[in-house]
Formats: sequence, C-alpha cells, structure tokens
Amino acid sequence: MSNIGIDLGTTNSLVAVVMGGRARCLLDDDGRAILPSAVRYTAEGPVVGYAALDDAAGHAATTLTSVKRFMGRSMDEARSEAAQLHYELAPPDDASEEKVVRMAVGERLVTPIEVSAEILKALKERAEECLLGGVGGAVITVPAYFDDAQRQATRDAGRLAGLNVLRLLNEPTAAAIAYGLQERSQGTFAIYDLGGGTFDISILRLEDGVFQVLSTAGDTHLGGDDFDRLIAERLLNEAGVVGARGGALRGAMEAAESAKRALTDAESTEVVAQLGEVSATFTLSRDTLNTLIRPLVDRTLTACQQALSDAQLTAAQIDGVVLVGGSTRVPLVRQVVEAFFGRVPFSDIDPDQVVAVGAAMQADILSGESELSEDVLLMDVVPLSLGLETMGGVVEKLIWRCSPIPSSASQTFTTHVDGQTAVSIHVVQGEREMARDNRSLARFKLGGIPPMPAGLPRVEVQFLVDANGILTVTATEQYTGKQSNIEIVPSYGLTDEQIEEMLESSIDAAETDVDERLLVEAKVEAEQILRAVEKALSSDADMVQEDELGSIQAVVAELKSAIDAQERKKVNDLSKKLDEVTAPFAQRRIERDLQLALRGQSALEVADRLDRSNV
Amino acid sequence: MICWKCHERLSSLRCASCGALVPPPAQPELFGALGLDRRYHVEAEAIDGAWRRRSKDTHPDRFAASSAVERRMALQWTATLNEARRVLRDPVARAWYLATGKPHPAESGGPKLSPEFLEEIFELRMAADDEPDAVRDTAAKLRARLDADLEDLFSRWERGEGDLSPVPERLSRLKYVDNLLRELPA
Ligand SMILES: [Zn+2]
Repeated sequence: MSNIGIDLGTTNSLVAVVMGGRARCLLDDDGRAILPSAVRYTAEGPVVGYAALDDAAGHAATTLTSVKRFMGRSMDEARSEAAQLHYELAPPDDASEEKVVRMAVGERLVTPIEVSAEILKALKERAEECLLGGVGGAVITVPAYFDDAQRQATRDAGRLAGLNVLRLLNEPTAAAIAYGLQERSQGTFAIYDLGGGTFDISILRLEDGVFQVLSTAGDTHLGGDDFDRLIAERLLNEAGVVGARGGALRGAMEAAESAKRALTDAESTEVVAQLGEVSATFTLSRDTLNTLIRPLVDRTLTACQQALSDAQLTAAQIDGVVLVGGSTRVPLVRQVVEAFFGRVPFSDIDPDQVVAVGAAMQADILSGESELSEDVLLMDVVPLSLGLETMGGVVEKLIWRCSPIPSSASQTFTTHVDGQTAVSIHVVQGEREMARDNRSLARFKLGGIPPMPAGLPRVEVQFLVDANGILTVTATEQYTGKQSNIEIVPSYGLTDEQIEEMLESSIDAAETDVDERLLVEAKVEAEQILRAVEKALSSDADMVQEDELGSIQAVVAELKSAIDAQERKKVNDLSKKLDEVTAPFAQRRIERDLQLALRGQSALEVADRLDRSNV
Repeated sequence: MICWKCHERLSSLRCASCGALVPPPAQPELFGALGLDRRYHVEAEAIDGAWRRRSKDTHPDRFAASSAVERRMALQWTATLNEARRVLRDPVARAWYLATGKPHPAESGGPKLSPEFLEEIFELRMAADDEPDAVRDTAAKLRARLDADLEDLFSRWERGEGDLSPVPERLSRLKYVDNLLRELPA
C-alpha cells in the first residue's frame, strides 16, 4: 500500500506518489499529469477532467468548473461568486438548505463536496492503476487561508471519494517540502502561488525542522486567466470587433493563451485567432504583453507586502522564494518577484506539480516507513481566529489567528436566570469584533443543566483544533462532571447525517468506512465519559457508596475492554450504562454543592472551590 | 517512568522502543509539560527549543498509523505544548501563572488596589491631554519601579526565600500603568 498526495486545485488537480525514494506525479493514458478540475454530468454518469472540458460551451449547463470556490460556503456567500461563472445555483427549498450550495445540473442537484469527490475519485482511480499494492492513505492540500468549514468540506469530499484522508496540508507548506527546504536547519521562505484564477502568498518559517506558516495573503480573483483576458481584449480591439461574445470571444481567449505561452521563451510571436466567422493574424511582443499585464502583476506585490508586514518581516529577510502555479512561467512574473525579494526564486520543479509532489512526500513520511527524512515537523497555524459570541453579540476570541495547531482553549459559562437548564453557544471564525460580521461555524444548545440559582452552573466549553485545522467543540457541565446532552447543529455545510446518506448511497464507498467512523466516534465519546467519571471518583471519593463503587468500576472495566476490542454497539451500550450507574453519585455531588451554597456561601465562592477541585 | 505499552524505561515523552506516547495529563502544569523548571527567569529561546523538541515527539503526524486512542493522546499533548509555549513566552502571563496557576487575572477582576494608587492613575489620566510628555515620564517611572519590584519578588522566590503572594497586586497595577501608557497620544 502506498500513500498518495493530492493537489485539489481550483483549475487543475494532480496526484503524486513516492516511488523508489522520489516523488512523481502520476500521468493519465495520454501522458498528462494535470486533471482539469471539471466535472460534466451526463446521462451515463459524471465525466471528469479533459473529457468534461471538450466542447464545454455546448454543455455549459451541465459542466461544473472552479467548484473549489464554493467549498464550505453558504448559498449567500456563493451567489456573488456564481455570478462570475456560468452556474445555475439551485434555489433553496427552505431555510435549512440555505446553508449549502447546490448546483443544478440537468435534473439533479449536486453539492461542491460531491463534485470535488468525483475529481478525487478520478485521481484515486489513476493511482490504483499505477500502484500495484493499492492506495493507502491520502494527503490532500488546501489553501493556507481555508477556514474550518472549507477544510471540513475538503475532508468530507475525500471521505465521499472513499479515500482515507490522513492529513490536510497547506499548499505553501507542501511546496516547501517539495524543494526539501526542511533539510536546512532554519530559514524564512516566501511561497508565491499564481494559478489560473487565484493568487496566494505565504511566509513560512523553519526552525529545527519545525515549519510554521507565519502569514498568508492573496487575491482570490487574480490569475493567469486574467492575463489571457487582457490579451484577448487587445486582439479584439485590433481586429475592430466590438462586444465580442460566444465563438469570437472564445477564439480570442484561445489565441491569447497560446500567445502567452509562446512568449515564455520567444521575444515576439504571431498567432492566428479564429474570431467567429473571420480569422485574423496578430503579432504580440513580450514588451507589449508586459505592459498589458504589469498592473496585475503589481497587485500580487501588494499582497506580498501585506504578508511580509503581517509576519513583521522585510523582503530582505526572506531566505528563499518558491514559485508555484502555471502562471509563474510568465517571464515578467519571475522578473518582478526576483526584483521584489532581491533573489532568484526556486523554479527547478514544474510549478504545476510542486504542490502535489510535496503532498506525496508528506504522505510518504506519514506512512512511518519512509526513506525520506522523518525529522521534519509541519506545524501549521489557525488561519482565522476562533471565538464565541458573548453578551451583546460581541466576539470573545478563544484561539487567535496564527496560533500553531493543534491548539486548545476553554471558556466557562454560567446561567443568567434561576432554574435555567440550557445555554446557547454560538461559535464563530474571523477577526471582526461583532459575531454577525464573522463566519458562523456552529450553534448549539447545551441542555440538561440541573435547575440551580443563576450564576451557579459552570459550563465549560472546550475548543480543540486538530493538526488539519479542523475544530471540535465540546461542552461539559462541571457539577455533574459529565457531558450533558450536547446537540450540535452546524450552521454551515453538510450535517454528519447528510454525509452519511451520501456515503451510503455511493456505491464506491466501502461500507467499512462508515463503520469505522462510527466506531471512532463511539470510542471518543466513551473515553470522554470515562475521563469524567474517573475525575469525579478521585475528587469526591468520599461521596461514593461501597456497593456503588463496585458496580461503577465493573462497568468502567467492561467499557474499557469493549473499547480495546473495537466493539461499537457494546461501547455505545456501556457508555449509556455508565451514565446510568453514576447518576445517583452525580446527583449527590450537585446536592452537596447546593447545600454549601445555601449555608451562606456565595455562588462565586462555591464556584471557586469547584474550580480548584478541578485543577 | 515506565512505558504504559511495553513497560520499557522512558527517557522522553515518546517510548524509544515501541513509539508509544506518555498519556497526557488532564490538567497539565505548563512548565512541566515542556520539561522546564518552574522559574520566572527563562529565555524565550529555551521555551521555543523545549517546545520544538517535545512537539517532534508528540505531533499527531508521528501517529498517523497508530490507533485512534494514541492519535487523540498526540493531539492533546501537542495542544498542551502549544498552550504552554504561548503562556510562558509572555512575561506577564508567565508571572500570573506562577503566582495563581492561571495565565490571567480571575474573572472577578483580581486583587483590590489601594485608593491612593487608583487616585494617582486617575490624576495622570486627567493630565494626559495637556502634558502628555510629563505623564509618559511619570508612568514610565511607575512601570520601572513595578518591574524592579516583580524582579525582586521572583528572584527571591527562585532562591527559596519569600513567596509570590504580593505578585497579583503588582501585576494588576502594571496593567493599569500599561493601559495608561498605551492610551497616551503619540
Ligand atoms: Zn514502549
């Protein structure tokens, strides 16, 4: 089994693998590494890649491109984006559907996750053909600025494609690994990524084999396609074509792209453009091209400056620059980048392939049997701050932007009304002061709080961001010491049930995937209950009756062995049973605390004491 | 310490013979998590070095092929190390942590400050618009005195003399002075 690395791009996607100690991209039957990120839905099923782009104009309504722009976005966020593409967004049937973008292709509706899964499946199949031992796990790259929802959506797409997603890796970090920058003892690097439709700049710091993303900036609507558009406009101008549409516009764009390519090596080129009925010949010099695109290239430098100031660095402090993305082949781009950073950028690796190559290297290292250096660690950071909405709609940040991940934080809440039994919690991501100006990640209600005077319950909300940048929120009611009925309703993307339905209805997805995930979830929950019970037993041993202790310990032991034996149903049943047998003990703890409160101590003192007993 | 999985003797967080990780403590002591002594006087480089060394042992990437339980332990450990680095690198948070076990004052606002001190700050604030330079001067002197005071408390504590009980009060004052300095017109 070999682990694979996947660059799931906006315009193009690639898959790579380490063979014989070297990473290489896997090719299709025609010898091409690139798989265009395009899916056409036909009566016979989805068609992916170059085949989907053939005569895309004739099938505009059923050919989906650039879906990466919609990953993890709500309908509302997607509308302005869709206006620039040729998409038909399906109008939501009800408010709950407003959360997820759905695209109408012919008779059916598809989500960006499903479309991305088709692209991933095609890459997986390519890998299966090439790798005799089969495909193990996969590392999938994401832009460094992708928020929680976008990362979750990417991971879900991988799951839907039947991939075992080992890790989501930031694209710039992947590019740095591809160049072996981790083998230096230290340094600060700029990763300049200019693709077809997006531009990203990231500053990475390496020290003692640990990589950290210091800052990122960019422009989500700037890329090589914009260069083509400017050249095409000029061609049409010269030909005297006004208001070109359809065939004429497409012909001009095609001619523009081939002129741009030719000018990578030549000083001047002649292209023939088929502008609808007429064909015209143009001469374009590199100087003219440079004048045309200069303002766009300068815009990338503004973002570079922003990323440098965010990292509190100057261009002179950068030890190396890596070029990523096909558009960095344009000579002016290289010149401008070189002048800005005052050094020749690295460009030995094909800029289209560099991210996939790095992902494959990381995938190989994760296998634990790598020939590559294992001494490097990729410590990514949270792209945007994570916080909770507090009184008056103000955000209280729990995890700050650019904190290294994994990262955890917690916050204690209480009730405002006597006898209140539930607390609403709103999780947001972003840098703005007010919750409504940030991205809403999840709303949930912590119920089952025992009725107590206001201010007495202590509900601890814990944030845990994993190495992929994905957030898990748990809440614990401190009196009972157990996780009360937390109901998490994600306010974006797909619910777990929806993903599960998709997985079940997908023929390709092995049933074991679902089983395994359910088992993991059951085990995680059981472990949380076990921890809480053990904590309560050690802090309040005097409050347990002897026969009670015996039955609690028996269930604890049974549950632990069920976890070890990986028996999902048993784990679930025993978790419930443990809850039941500890209920009287939990009740006594609550009563004791309430009595303390009534004995004239203020709620605050009781809370303080509880705090200490939990330290 | 003995490895929970293979019972070999441990020399770091990760067992050299079987690769298992020491289970993460539920309520970790942040200096201990990084393997550092509980001291106020610690260089940022020493914290970063300890953080990198330990992260390499605990990072979830090292456990991609391990069981779910071990992956979760790796996640918790690394999150703890990141928290420890963040708190201990900040001298004020580090001082709070050593004195109170929390990296910031309690929600109820921390220790009570003397009316004289609050009066002094109030007067300085009032004068800030008219004579910012003089106020800045006075505030800077106040800050230097508090710094020296804290320095003295921690130095003695590190030699085993005295305790840290006066620290929260000094830190609360420091916050007032810092807020004042920050709000002064440039
Ligand atoms: Zn061991």
